Amino acid sequence: MRGFLLRRAATVPLTLLGVSLLVFAATELVPGDVARIILGREASQASVQALRDELGLDRPWFQRYADWLGGFLTGDWGTSYTLGVPVQDLVVSRLGQSLLLAGVAFTVLAPVAVGLGLWAGVRHDRAADRVISVGGLAFGAVPEFVTGVVLLVVFAVNLRWFPSGAQAPEGSGPLTVLWHLALPALSLVLLCTGYVARHVRAGTAVSVESAYARAAELRGLTRGQVVRRHVLRNSTVPAASALGVQLQFLLGGLVSVELLFGYPGIGALLLQSAVDKDLPVLQSAAMVLGLLYMVIVLGADVAYRLLDPRVRLGAVAS
Amino acid sequence: MDLPGNATLDRLPGLSRRVFIGGTALTALLAACGTGTTTTQSPAQTQPTAQPSQVPRRGGILKAGSPPPPTKVDPVTMYDGTAIAITQLVADYLIWLEKDFTLVPRLAEKWESSDGGRTWVFTIRQGVVFSDGTPLDAETVKVSFDRLLDPDSKSAALSAFDGVLKEGGVAATDAGTVTFTLERAFSDFPYLVSAGNYNALILKKDYASGGDIIGTGPFTLTTYDASTGATLTRNPKYWQQDRPYLDGVEIRFYADDQADLLALQSGEIDAQILSRPQLVGPLKGAGDIVVDQVPGTGLTAFTLRVDQPPFDRKENRQAVAYALDRPGVNTTIYDGVGALGNDHLFAALFPAAPADLPQRAKDPAKVAELLGGRKLSFALTFDPPGKDLALTIQAQLKEVGIEVELDQRTSADFYGGDQEKDTPWLFTSANLVGWAGRAVPSQFIVPMVISDGVWNGSKYANPALDEAARAYDAATTDEERRAQAAIIAGALHEDVPVIISVWSGTVRAYNGAKVAGVAAHPSSYVDFSEVTVL
Repeated sequence: MRGFLLRRAATVPLTLLGVSLLVFAATELVPGDVARIILGREASQASVQALRDELGLDRPWFQRYADWLGGFLTGDWGTSYTLGVPVQDLVVSRLGQSLLLAGVAFTVLAPVAVGLGLWAGVRHDRAADRVISVGGLAFGAVPEFVTGVVLLVVFAVNLRWFPSGAQAPEGSGPLTVLWHLALPALSLVLLCTGYVARHVRAGTAVSVESAYARAAELRGLTRGQVVRRHVLRNSTVPAASALGVQLQFLLGGLVSVELLFGYPGIGALLLQSAVDKDLPVLQSAAMVLGLLYMVIVLGADVAYRLLDPRVRLGAVAS
Repeated sequence: MDLPGNATLDRLPGLSRRVFIGGTALTALLAACGTGTTTTQSPAQTQPTAQPSQVPRRGGILKAGSPPPPTKVDPVTMYDGTAIAITQLVADYLIWLEKDFTLVPRLAEKWESSDGGRTWVFTIRQGVVFSDGTPLDAETVKVSFDRLLDPDSKSAALSAFDGVLKEGGVAATDAGTVTFTLERAFSDFPYLVSAGNYNALILKKDYASGGDIIGTGPFTLTTYDASTGATLTRNPKYWQQDRPYLDGVEIRFYADDQADLLALQSGEIDAQILSRPQLVGPLKGAGDIVVDQVPGTGLTAFTLRVDQPPFDRKENRQAVAYALDRPGVNTTIYDGVGALGNDHLFAALFPAAPADLPQRAKDPAKVAELLGGRKLSFALTFDPPGKDLALTIQAQLKEVGIEVELDQRTSADFYGGDQEKDTPWLFTSANLVGWAGRAVPSQFIVPMVISDGVWNGSKYANPALDEAARAYDAATTDEERRAQAAIIAGALHEDVPVIISVWSGTVRAYNGAKVAGVAAHPSSYVDFSEVTVL
């Protein structure tokens, strides 16, 4: 395990370097001028050029990239071109918001999806299985912003049980914060539950039909005991992987939910900084998200290894 | 000088917010669902249902929604509607621009011109103090304009003053008088120092870009967060007695206008700063939502380059103009709140607008005659805010056999590049450019269609029009002005360097059961000093 962790950790800096180069190159290739975006189309060309000089935008790309990288590595993430605020504060604050929303959604998603998957797997090919599988597929096929709009119309606009904005007022207590996050979290849970449940269901269905499960039943264990003692652990192996994938999505792929619910998360920041060619923000946000992704993938792999002795023992390629 | 309007609302070029949430179809769904309240209102009832009572109720906080400003809020360089709204709540102009474009004295009590309109003397209101107690004087006003006129200011106001007023042209004659000496006679000059030139706010002498914004306005900026919003509290030192009625304003940022709308419908906010006619139109008459509407002077110019094929032929330009169904454009794009354009730059709101020029209308026979059997096809370049209009134009022109290839760019690309060499919005053969409302027609004419206009995307050059534009600016009588306006409008109508199909109106939606006194403004400006919470 230690060797595995060391090997994976060694790839992190190289991967992040690749990500930063890719983001930088893509931003360079996309047409548009951040100085013009900042000053607006009606500023004179001379004003735009003066701002370009001020921001150092006419320097060679490798110089600008090296300056940014050096600053990032030494903790100086620079100042947002467009918003004029320190990038580090902005990215950390937005990441915190996204982590909160993702955390709430994930806290609901994990037990619900695993539970439904287990139930469907144990009762595979029966009515409950079909309802869960078809329901999961249906909700999984509907984009979260559509589900979100329906939830908003029903619960925020018509019933007024929940606020339409996910951002609680400054200084709100935990319950108010959760109340504000309920609808966006629910739209995400509805989207992701089917995917996770399907993986758990598949593992469970195979496990309950396996020779060892049948043997256990023949030894007199009840179906419930068999599930708890033998099936559950096997089912959690695919669940770890599926939940890891969903967690990655929840952390960085929430742009539409953040926009729809007026939530200042890192997804919306990433999008806006890309549109505005705000390179210091875009690069730093991409690096932080990239690092987070790798940590999640690593966590999922570690969980996979801990849960499945065949992987630990090398019977299955890592 | 661009005033805030629809063109500045969409901040996701290339990745329209509507991609994410489905646009007007969803709005229709939301409207169909209503707000669950029982109050009803006829569709035609677009004026506020509740006006401020005789004895206005004091206190309360107005919660308003708006898109987050794309850049740091700096009164000198700002250009987006939200930043303008925030600063207009905090600081004052010499003159306010009413929604019918009349000028209302604010920090200037009066003004008069001499020297045939080349010298303007403004009397500054006495006894006014900034919210921190600093007194306002003529020197402060001078410094505010010097700051904008500094060639290094990077302010869009430089473009507004271009050719009219330059650095060194402002003098504080005494403690209460400011004199502007212009480069040429300009009879509409008061508009350039009014809210019509939105950067022209009076700030403290020591204001520096990025610093605290301290003004003489009805509110003070208490907190500002680029991600979430701004809070403003009543300025107890405000010079207008007993105003504002509110204790404060809370502006919440919504990066998506559907989210803004849903917040209004759900009661989370009381009003929108920037409303889109297409989005709020279906809400008219739905529950407590009131949609106030005013005529405007904003437009989307369908610019045709007259110096290269196919639009170097006047007949081709005229053919396109006669192929458009303008009422259809108004209904489809502006929810019917606009007024028909006639391919010149005098909106009906402008007093000198010519009334005797026949309204151009769709005429397929005329199109065929003008084209004379030649096939016409061209590429139309635009950015995301122009997409709906581009699709409408493509469909309408196809009906008369004119083929349009759509060339959508991101806003960053469309307005990027060098304005003297290659920027798409000034150098493509046909394009759509949104122009928010202007207070005076010269703010369109001078940059857009005179021969050396800084934003002359059509490359139109007409010495007679240039001369008439100069004469119009210098005219001192209404009669003289109308005469020059007729020459300008006639030339543009005949030569068609730009097609103006509709003058867009402006709307502002608010919750009529919760607040009163919120009103639309042609330039989406805000004056919440008389708003009351019900």
